[in-house]
Amino acid sequence: MSKETIRLTQTVKGSGCAAKLSPGDLDRALCGLDLPVDPNLLVGLDRADDAGVYRVSDELALVQTLDFFPPMVDDPYSFGQIAAANALSDIYAMGGVPKTAMNIVAFPGKTMDISILRSVIEGGLDKMREAGVVLVGGHTVEDAELKYGLSVTGYIHPDRILTKKNLQTGDRLVLTKPLGTGIVATAIKAGLADQELTDRVTRAMATLNRVAALTMDDFDVHACTDITGFGFLGHLAEMVVDSGHGVRIVAADVPLYTEALEWAAMGLIPAGAYNNKNFRGSFVDFGADVSQKVQDVLFDPQTSGGLLIAVSAGEADRLVEALKAHGITCAAVVGEVVSEPVDRIFVV
Amino acid sequence: MIQELDCRGLECPAPVLQVRNALENETPATLAVLVDNEAARQNVSRFLEHQNYRVSSELQGGGFRVVGTRTEGGKASEKSPSAPVTKKKESGTKKIMVLVTSVHMGHGDDGLGDMLMFNFLKTLKEMGPELWRVAFVNSGVSFTAAGSEAVPILQELADAGVQITACGACLAFFHILDTMQVGTVTNMLEIVTGMKEADSVITV
Repeated sequence: MSKETIRLTQTVKGSGCAAKLSPGDLDRALCGLDLPVDPNLLVGLDRADDAGVYRVSDELALVQTLDFFPPMVDDPYSFGQIAAANALSDIYAMGGVPKTAMNIVAFPGKTMDISILRSVIEGGLDKMREAGVVLVGGHTVEDAELKYGLSVTGYIHPDRILTKKNLQTGDRLVLTKPLGTGIVATAIKAGLADQELTDRVTRAMATLNRVAALTMDDFDVHACTDITGFGFLGHLAEMVVDSGHGVRIVAADVPLYTEALEWAAMGLIPAGAYNNKNFRGSFVDFGADVSQKVQDVLFDPQTSGGLLIAVSAGEADRLVEALKAHGITCAAVVGEVVSEPVDRIFVV
Repeated sequence: MIQELDCRGLECPAPVLQVRNALENETPATLAVLVDNEAARQNVSRFLEHQNYRVSSELQGGGFRVVGTRTEGGKASEKSPSAPVTKKKESGTKKIMVLVTSVHMGHGDDGLGDMLMFNFLKTLKEMGPELWRVAFVNSGVSFTAAGSEAVPILQELADAGVQITACGACLAFFHILDTMQVGTVTNMLEIVTGMKEADSVITV
């Protein structure tokens, strides 16, 4: 078989971050585990943050993360780029600088030409080069379905860690990539997405959050996360729950692929979106004007989504301007942190 | 007998595609679909509602049975008086489809973009007989509705045999479904299949 004819998305069940284990199941697996305690573990599993942080000295901490998933696009090189961008994103979301990476590969060597694996890894290397990251190794297993990703290690200053917590009343929330990639990936799999949109979404997913992270470094940012498998509202809920603050989101201001709305209405919604809604829906209230399909997109699992940044109110517009000036043209203020109702998300 | 479709054991988006195929081959008055998970139940329900079916679902044998009943008023695009049924394109001609996604042309200054788009629509006829279909989506649908200066221009194209279509969901979104003056209502499926049928698609 040639790598030109095989459609990667037809070879797997789940796609991209939509293939994540449902958050409720993960919570049940991890809840109550006896986790090792270490004073140098500054951000660990108990915090459910984007990446773990381990202090080496007063000036230096390691920030580590791992992400891999089955393909959500048909082109092997693009898939490699997207998987790498997605894995690197967690480091950027913590305010860190990625340094080294290792490949994680599952490959159906009996049914798929090895040239496909080569293209996937080339795509990953392309993004590692762009990020200034060096590949130090990897591990490959034979599996029924192709999966690819990275384990990434970066540097961060122990006093400058950006977590999901630390929202402050009045903060504006800024999003740096459009939502809807899970639904669009489902439409790609269904053969309904045209080439132009497929290319546009592929480019967005393959875009590193590096420039967004570098840009926000100059502003008074209080908290940050990246939007991936749990969807916009799922990840936002992680910021809001137990924060002592609430959040008000203006749905009309949220950047999204308009095609995803139509496909949501058609029922081309990945199962992950329903999982996300079941798990986090109880923290969210929707205004009467927010349609079902918009709600679906807000819960849609994203692959290599953008950063969600909480920035002080006075700097929000300037941050958005700076992001746009650096080519992140869809960046927008999508909501604000309010004093109450606490621990809840209100979408109007 | 009610037509029944067994979509158990299928992963998203396969159940929706099976239902779509069933509706394309014939338009059953009632269709029952068996699914074995909640996501498929909701997705199939959404698809049937989108196709103007009234939907109910019940638990059945560890899964769900989703039943859709066709409602009146579906397929509005076939009833529209301005559908150019009499003026078919001669066969063998290249088909160009133009997709208008906004009231503005390009990004920068919206005022300038408005002017450019209006001028674009006015100049479209220069494409000649190869211009097959102009589809309007998102804010672009407003060109087909009352109050738009583009209505006579589009009517002229329609009279010349060009298919003018506007996305129904978009017209509804902007509350102008009732004031549409030219062309026919379309949906995403028709837009997507049109893209496939066209020899070239130009998006503005």
